[in-house]
Amino acid sequence: MSAEELLKKAESLLSGVGQGTTRPEPNRLDVVVPASDLVAAATALRGADWGYLSTLTGVDLGKDANEIEVLYHVCERDAVTTLRVRVPRAGGTVPSLHTVHPNAMLFERELIEMFGVTVTGLADTSHLFLPDGWPEGTYPLLKDTDVRAAAAKTTGSEPPEMGRHGDRFIVPVGPQHPALKEPGHFEFAVDGERVTGATVRLGYVHRGIERAAENQTYTQNLYLTERVCGICSHSHANAYVNGVEQLAKIPAPPRAQAIRQLVACLERIHSHLLWLGVAAYEAGFDTLLMYSWRDREIVMDILEQLTGNRVNYSANILGGVKYDVTAAIAPVIRRGLDKLEERAKHYLHVVTADTSFLSRAQGIGVTSKEEAASLEMLGPTLRAAGVARDVRIDAPYGSYKQFPVTMVLDSAGDLAARFKVRVLEMLESIRVIRVILDGLPEGTLSVKFPRRIPAGETISRFEAPRGELFYYLKSNGTDKPERVKIRTPTICNWIYVLTKAVGAQMADVPPLLASIDPCFSCNDRMIVVNRGGGDRRIWTRENPQRLAGAQTRR
Amino acid sequence: MRALINLLFFPGGLFLILLALAYEWADRKLLARFENRIGPRWFQTVADIVKLLVKEEITPATSHPILFGVLPVVAMTGALTAALYVPLLGMRPALSFNGDLIVTLYLLSLLTMAVGMAGWNSTSRFTMMGATRALTQLFSYEAPFMLALLGPAVVAQSWQINQIVANNRGVWLLLTQPFGFAVALIGLMGKLEMPPFDAPKAKTEIVAGALTEYSGRGLGLFHLGKGIELVVGLTLIAALYMGGIANPVEFFGKTLLLLVVLTSLHAILTRLRIDQTVGLWWRYGALVVLLQWLALIVWKGVTA
Repeated sequence: MSAEELLKKAESLLSGVGQGTTRPEPNRLDVVVPASDLVAAATALRGADWGYLSTLTGVDLGKDANEIEVLYHVCERDAVTTLRVRVPRAGGTVPSLHTVHPNAMLFERELIEMFGVTVTGLADTSHLFLPDGWPEGTYPLLKDTDVRAAAAKTTGSEPPEMGRHGDRFIVPVGPQHPALKEPGHFEFAVDGERVTGATVRLGYVHRGIERAAENQTYTQNLYLTERVCGICSHSHANAYVNGVEQLAKIPAPPRAQAIRQLVACLERIHSHLLWLGVAAYEAGFDTLLMYSWRDREIVMDILEQLTGNRVNYSANILGGVKYDVTAAIAPVIRRGLDKLEERAKHYLHVVTADTSFLSRAQGIGVTSKEEAASLEMLGPTLRAAGVARDVRIDAPYGSYKQFPVTMVLDSAGDLAARFKVRVLEMLESIRVIRVILDGLPEGTLSVKFPRRIPAGETISRFEAPRGELFYYLKSNGTDKPERVKIRTPTICNWIYVLTKAVGAQMADVPPLLASIDPCFSCNDRMIVVNRGGGDRRIWTRENPQRLAGAQTRR
Repeated sequence: MRALINLLFFPGGLFLILLALAYEWADRKLLARFENRIGPRWFQTVADIVKLLVKEEITPATSHPILFGVLPVVAMTGALTAALYVPLLGMRPALSFNGDLIVTLYLLSLLTMAVGMAGWNSTSRFTMMGATRALTQLFSYEAPFMLALLGPAVVAQSWQINQIVANNRGVWLLLTQPFGFAVALIGLMGKLEMPPFDAPKAKTEIVAGALTEYSGRGLGLFHLGKGIELVVGLTLIAALYMGGIANPVEFFGKTLLLLVVLTSLHAILTRLRIDQTVGLWWRYGALVVLLQWLALIVWKGVTA
């Protein structure tokens, strides 16, 4: 079905509850829904199997309007239906959608702490990203909130009591734990080796990027979004520039689009190789970690030679790219790809044939196709369960129409299938890069791009290595965006992890956690918290600057 | 005086410690090369242990402080005492009496028991899970491991290590009792919590298992104890299954060969879950050793 047909269907499904529909972009349908009809509207779409809740965005409409708009983005292939609910700025209430869309549980907790909107019917309304000691009644994403003042007022919270919690024996994992190289806090209640309960606490690296983006120009934000994540830096920047280019209605030239896709493919190889090592390490297979990280150097070297950087490639600019794939660099890339292909084939053999490895991966964390779809999981984790969902194929952006990728699917739905899918995606990326190098369009690398962007709003979806990345951008005609909403793939897979951890063996929990390829820095994005009392261990912005200065002076 | 020197410096005590550190270095270096890394420099293991021994030791408030301090000493003592009964460097064991094989096997288990108790005594959640796993693992490999080492004794018709070695001199029992040899070698890996049997200290699940709360001296002593146990275990298996140890050249040749096998297994295998470890030992390990015993007894009966 085309986007047009899909949206027609959505429109008819929502005809009973909507109060006026608009079509802001060819692939988008906006439906204004009163808060009281929200559950009915979401149920109507879900009941007809129309789409998944990609995320929800809160937008503060400012003091004059005195309203907050909550946008529920439901995506199906390339079509996006947005349910728009308006609530008063003070005391606004929306019903919870978690019975219809399980992931709404997390999105709604973010909405509560960031905007102060009350969500009814939600069991857990505690902070998801903000620290426990955050001053009450201060909501960081409201336009008139002084975030710095609020952060200064944040008090320290007591660490959770160690030992037994009643009859439950709790094993804490994180924020500092050898299993997690990034901070997140999980509590697993165990009975012997069997896990009987699981909770997650996020936000240890929340950096307030969404709020920061509102105070910076579009060009500055390019560098900000690039730093949301260290692994998929290109994905974030590319999703962002795609969005801004849609708002400005100035597409990047074909050659730039192709180069962006090429870097995205290299990034996918980089990310999957890194993940392969981490996941193997979680299961206690250190040799595979050492080998895959050695081979990751090959792709990092390619990226360095292409862009000058190994991590934040910084290939994008608004309206194009910075770096060209010259005749000199193309053979270097090809040589690297040959090596990578050989290694990827070897890893495919390891993850499908090694008995010792399979004994820890086969039949662990199994999800059926139906379950994976109903939990609204994303990315390779979802595709390993046999659900065909990939933005690059469903809603091709940039040059993905010209250089199509093939979807990699597996029906097993267990850990072993996720290894297989990711390794096959590496091989697919290698194939696509070769096609791009063969048919790289001629032309300029960038077009002139205005500083001010006309008012409007748009949605940019991008298939990052971990799954669908979702950017919502709203412009107001100035050189700074009105609202930037970033939804990373990791957050959509948490419900799955917590569901499957219960009943699993403790030893299978770290591989299970790693299997979704969690990225906490993407997921969290923390406001500098001062725990008060002049604690010198707390660093403010000045400390690292001073240190850096002292080091360079030497 | 001579006995004191024997005990403190050579072949016991100091020499054994240095030997243990050297073997640990060989293990680490070899593993690193297998994993495409460079690995530690030759003095790294010595530096590590010196660092641990001089470091401040933090005793958890909820633990019994005396027990907390004594357990590492017990662990190391067990391993050092066991060394007195085995033919280190191909020399006569320092002590020897009829039945010393059994004593040695029990002394080797003392370390695991001490680790388990240390885990319970530390009262942290990671150490408790680690202790439970360490003891579960002990009960799964211990019986097959013991039976496997008693196989050569049956052939030699003696319970005395010295006697067994003398009676079986030049006979490579690993050819006639391959299952016993395999079980003994893999049992040693289980004893030393070497991967893939490192579930009791799986860092991605329970940090460092039973020893999580140990920091300075205690950790150092446990560490040394394990190193010594590795040397003693390798010596024992080489002496019983590989035609005895006549001189230092044979000693190093045979034990290092075994070490290479252990390290290779470490490099190519994924960590087993504790239920997989228990299943492996009771389903296969115990079974093959018992079958081999049956074969031995029948053979003895026929030839007698």
